Amino acid sequence: MYQLEVLIRNFTYLLLGAVVTLKITAISVLMGLAIGTFVGMGRLSKRKIISIPSSIYVEFLRGTPLLVQIFLIYFGLPSLGLNLEAFPAAVIALGINSGAYVAEIVRAGIQSVPKGQYEAARSLGMSHTMAMRYVILPQAFRNILPALGNEFIALLKDSSLVSVIGITELMKSGQIVISRTFASFSIYGGVALIYFAMTFTLARIVRYTEKRLAIR
Amino acid sequence: MSEILRAENIHKYFGKLHVLKGVSLSIQKGEVVVIIGPSGSGKSTFLRCINHLEEYQEGKIYFEGKLVNPKKDVNKLRTRIGMVFQHFNLFPHLKVIENLTLAPVKVLGMDEKEAIKKAENLLDRVGLLDKKDVYPAKLSGGQQQRVAIARALMMDPDIMLFDEPTSALDPELVYEVLSVMKDLASSGMTMIVVTHEMGFAKEVANRVMFMDEGKILEEAPPEEFFTSPKNERTKEFLDRILGI
Ligand SMILES: Nc1ncnc2c1ncn2[C@@H]1O[C@H](COP(=O)(O)OP(=O)(O)OP(=O)(O)O)[C@@H](O)[C@H]1O
Ligand SMILES: [Mg+2]
Repeated sequence: MYQLEVLIRNFTYLLLGAVVTLKITAISVLMGLAIGTFVGMGRLSKRKIISIPSSIYVEFLRGTPLLVQIFLIYFGLPSLGLNLEAFPAAVIALGINSGAYVAEIVRAGIQSVPKGQYEAARSLGMSHTMAMRYVILPQAFRNILPALGNEFIALLKDSSLVSVIGITELMKSGQIVISRTFASFSIYGGVALIYFAMTFTLARIVRYTEKRLAIR
Repeated sequence: MSEILRAENIHKYFGKLHVLKGVSLSIQKGEVVVIIGPSGSGKSTFLRCINHLEEYQEGKIYFEGKLVNPKKDVNKLRTRIGMVFQHFNLFPHLKVIENLTLAPVKVLGMDEKEAIKKAENLLDRVGLLDKKDVYPAKLSGGQQQRVAIARALMMDPDIMLFDEPTSALDPELVYEVLSVMKDLASSGMTMIVVTHEMGFAKEVANRVMFMDEGKILEEAPPEEFFTSPKNERTKEFLDRILGI
């Protein structure tokens, strides 16, 4: 009973943490999308000067642990004279990391659009950039929406890692409550439930958007 | 008459594969040239070289008398050359009317309202005004191809290239596309048409060219081309295709 009482009493506090989680996730998603779109296009570029760095970016970030990346940015950069507060460090680390995964998804999305689409766009006088922006990417994004949704859900869950650099998001909020109350089971249980509620809702939103945007 | 386009001695390689072996063509304003030839002879590749969707390794292309620089002039050039593809290539995420207005608005900077008006006129001309707000997937192949023709016409091109525009269509839909193309020809549009529709060639073409293994083997006005072909390969091909 004590366990449940603690959870109920501290639930609002946990929800405040969840809001921070959502905030971090939202900003990192936008960053990841922006980076991923450019790097994804970059990997397909005919120019090696663009495609090689893009590939290195993707391979390196997918091939190293996110936790190491977070530490590298939060603890590592200051030794190079670049001090970041915990929140921007967290968002940057997550955004850069997500960018690599989004890049792979975007690349697959672009490749899923038939070549004739690009040619039709170019044959009407559009530049490469215009063809990408108005013809290829809109179709690519429709095709990859489910994959992007999964990536965002993964990102939301991964954001719990930034608790280690002292950001009071959902995970850290739970730990703080537990350090006062020792009600590990109910609090971690509550934390898990709140994460689940968020990922479940996010999945629903993605499915809904997918249906709305499906090519009629 | 004035020359609108001239291709001189175009050579194209795909890796080691020599696909175009010195193809030349000069076309006057208002002329309709039909290119026929067996599969794999390089017809599509030649059309694609003309508007630089494909690079060529040798040869020159002149547009309205000016040498085209493939590194610099292509976007501008392509606004002057309309292209119609075998598989239509309409933009599936855009409504019919948006398919038409996209390029003129973004590329030529045409006013949106003006573009819509022009698009409605052209859709009317191809008999599809009532379809302006549907998505391409809702249209039959013949309708899609007519939209694709209207989309190309939105740019007011000086010349239109057609790459087997009817060969992906069910037989009963071929007619509606050909009739739009005939109208276009009689309105004075300059056209290069790759097709196996011999009736169209006989009726509309000023000249018919036979391409085989990357070369133009024969070229003549349609009466002459179909009744007394000179080249053996042309004869064989015509026999086969006309089922004689
Ligand atoms: N992108 C490409 N890469 C390599 N080879 C190609 C490519 N496109 C075409 N080819 C080859 O070039 C040759 C000419 O092809 P092209 O498509 O121009 O022929 P075509 O006359 O249009 O034939 P069809 O009547 O089948 O359309 C063929 O041997 C083809 O296999
Ligand atoms: Mg072809």
